[in-house]
Amino acid sequence: MTQGFDREWQLDELLDAASQGKIGPALSALLGGDFALTDQAGKTLWGQPSPEARREALILELEPVGYLLSSSASPAALSAARQLMLSLLRAEVRFKMASTLHLESVAEDFESLKREHARLSESEARYKALSGELEARVKKQVGELEERQQMLYEAEKLASVGQLAAGMAHEINNPLGFVRSNLTTFEKYLGKFAELKTHPGSLADGWQALDLDFILEDGIDLLHDSAKGMERIARIVADLKAFSNVDRASQEYADLNNCLREAVSMVEAQMPPGIHFRFDLLPLPGFVCLPGHINQLFFNVIRNAVLAIADSGRPGEVKISSEADETGIHIRIHDTGVGMTAEQIGHAFEPFYTTRPVGSGVGLGLATARNVVQAHSGRISLDSQPDVGTTVSLFFPTPP
Amino acid sequence: MPESDAQHLTFKLVYYGPAQSGKTTNLLRLHDLLAPELKGEVMTMETKDDRTLFFDLLPLGFRAPSGLLIKFRLFTVPGQVAHDGTRKAVLSRADGVVFVADADRAQETNNGESFQSLAANCARVGLDFEHLPMVVQFNKCDLPSAVPEAEIRERWSAAPWPLVFAIALTGQGVETSFELLIRTVYRNFCQKLKLQSEHGLSEDAFVAGALGMNA
Repeated sequence: MTQGFDREWQLDELLDAASQGKIGPALSALLGGDFALTDQAGKTLWGQPSPEARREALILELEPVGYLLSSSASPAALSAARQLMLSLLRAEVRFKMASTLHLESVAEDFESLKREHARLSESEARYKALSGELEARVKKQVGELEERQQMLYEAEKLASVGQLAAGMAHEINNPLGFVRSNLTTFEKYLGKFAELKTHPGSLADGWQALDLDFILEDGIDLLHDSAKGMERIARIVADLKAFSNVDRASQEYADLNNCLREAVSMVEAQMPPGIHFRFDLLPLPGFVCLPGHINQLFFNVIRNAVLAIADSGRPGEVKISSEADETGIHIRIHDTGVGMTAEQIGHAFEPFYTTRPVGSGVGLGLATARNVVQAHSGRISLDSQPDVGTTVSLFFPTPP
Repeated sequence: MPESDAQHLTFKLVYYGPAQSGKTTNLLRLHDLLAPELKGEVMTMETKDDRTLFFDLLPLGFRAPSGLLIKFRLFTVPGQVAHDGTRKAVLSRADGVVFVADADRAQETNNGESFQSLAANCARVGLDFEHLPMVVQFNKCDLPSAVPEAEIRERWSAAPWPLVFAIALTGQGVETSFELLIRTVYRNFCQKLKLQSEHGLSEDAFVAGALGMNA
């Protein structure tokens, strides 16, 4: 470990060959021809020390770093030459020490910069890891939220299917009830006809006595009624079947007008009195969609329209219009119900926003509707005035 | 560890401290005050405004009874904050440190920062700060704004280092600081370097040799 700036510099380090070459002849001339330079151990650096030469020590710090020898110079001249050498060597040692120290300190500064850099890199890596972790956590939470939203969406779907099912049960029960009662009555009527066989007297008397004219007429009516009831049930079942495409996830071509009609017939089944529908449906091109989801969307919107009219306490009308242009399909569902305030419109598409009492709706109807519209790259917008009515405009783009 | 061969033993002693606390003045006064057997010139590397840019060096030496030449090379570091790399390089391989603090109350922060940098730099250059021989000198005690001695003693009462109160300009306390340092240095290295057993040097003889009081 002697390469530091603070080592004790040796003469041959301070006077390299080049500078020896420069000062040698000059010294030689000054000292009358004969001179030699040795280091502190006696090794000759310049000239040929003669045995009888005078010797002057060159002391930079405490001990000689070398000797100046001459046999030809006077003591005064040799001493003067020594002083000259010393000031030369002092300048040289100062320069060497300063430059070596400068190198060391630059290296040291570089080392501290490297340390600082390493520290910064480490902290950068830490922040990167942290941000990655955060991102993962956000992702996970977003995933959870989406999952929950999906669950609620499913729940809402189930709830509306449940409501629908309850309405349907009622609708089916009605005709079932009167068909059953008709058939019971008809069975009794057939009994009357059986009595005719054992009735005393002529067939005509018996026919008369048993009032079979009436029974025959009424029996035919009963059968007609029952057939109508069965037809009603058949229609409801067919509607339901079309509507229950909800979970069929494959895309198909559908006529949105048919979807609108299906949705209306579902809503109609449980509609309060005093409300009627008006259709203004123009021919539409086939639209690639998820029919189950589209039905759900129309059902939600049309049910809202019906409920809005019911809320107003007045009779009213739901007007459904559709038309197509080169960009896509436009559908408008207009009602003459209670309408909405600007604030309500602002919140209308938010999940869980509802103006209805707790328990009658979760507030997912329009949120679900918008999800479906967006899934079909469409747009949905609301236009409403309190006490005048609401118009829901839907747009579905069709490929050119 | 001091550099040594069969005939020489060299101790490197470093004067450390904040800018303009009087490190170079310490060296100049020591050069005047001490009279050891061997004494070199103070080699200073001052810039034109008298600030130390690299270091100052004062070589001192004496011969032990065994013939061993004991040398002390006293260095000062540049105090200015910007020269930390140079300070570190000068501090490396030190066998003892005089920390020259400025007693002026306005300089307390600078003293603290410089002391912190001494501890940090010791660690960087591989010196054991806990066991490094050290003397703490409070210079410029004659200033009207100097912190009173009692207050400083109170504050440093828990520290293991000897305190010296100095006025380097007049030489007061300069020699004492140096003496206290080389006493600690002697105790630190006496065993390892067999100063007493092989070289016949007692602590007092060591100090006397360094100060030049041929007792």
